[in-house]
Amino acid sequence: MHPQLEILLQIQDLKAQRRDLAEVESERKVEEEEFQIDPEQAIQSIDEKIAELEGELTPSVRSRYERISRDRGRAVVPVINGICYGCFVSIPTSLASDVRRNDEVHHCDHCGRFIYVVS
Amino acid sequence: MELREFFDRDAISLDLKGETKDEILKELIGLLGVDEKSEAILFKMLRRRENLGSTGIGRGIAIPHCRSLVVNRLRVAFGRKSNGIDFQAIDNNPVHYFFLIVAPPLEVSNQYLPVLGKVAQFAKEPDVPSRLAEIQTPDEFLNLLAEKAI
Ligand SMILES: [Zn+2]
Repeated sequence: MHPQLEILLQIQDLKAQRRDLAEVESERKVEEEEFQIDPEQAIQSIDEKIAELEGELTPSVRSRYERISRDRGRAVVPVINGICYGCFVSIPTSLASDVRRNDEVHHCDHCGRFIYVVS
Repeated sequence: MELREFFDRDAISLDLKGETKDEILKELIGLLGVDEKSEAILFKMLRRRENLGSTGIGRGIAIPHCRSLVVNRLRVAFGRKSNGIDFQAIDNNPVHYFFLIVAPPLEVSNQYLPVLGKVAQFAKEPDVPSRLAEIQTPDEFLNLLAEKAI
């Protein structure tokens, strides 16, 4: 897997974790009550990790990442059955076979989000 | 859906070999059968979740969990370490029983939280720790889940 793609995936996973804690009341409650997590402290620590990983992105990847995050929210999305799960438009067959290897950083031609294929 | 329906025989190990928190997490991830890079990302995410606070909820049970793009559906695994290990659990007791829960960030069926809740509920059943200690085969584990009908 391309190292930059690996960083992007980690950032997106951390953002999902952050969203659960910050925006999903039921999730926050489970973390607080069952696991005795302090959500505010946890969010702060996740934000620090996200910032650290963002610092590891190369300038070109980072600029697309920042633009897409700002304009469209999620910057990294999976491709499932040939469909970009950001915009739900089909990925051209030639690109899809390249993306499947996950050894380069690809993006969807339609929405611009980084795309990733689950093996 | 009941908890029993989420577990596969292949993702159950009654004899974990790891001696540390990291080794156990890696072994549990190994039960999911994902590729090496995905394993590495899952490990980082689970480790980071543990750093926010242990998922060892007491009574010898831990529920490591995270969301990750490297899986395309909810995945669960169960592992047992008879001697127990230090997992920095809430009650400071060694942890013997591990329920791993991993889900993609966007799930159509939204099962992650319900399953997490169900496992936590299962863990609170008074006889569960002693029953988990006694089981001999993955099928007995699955039968215990079915019996509890959570
Ligand atoms: Zn797209």
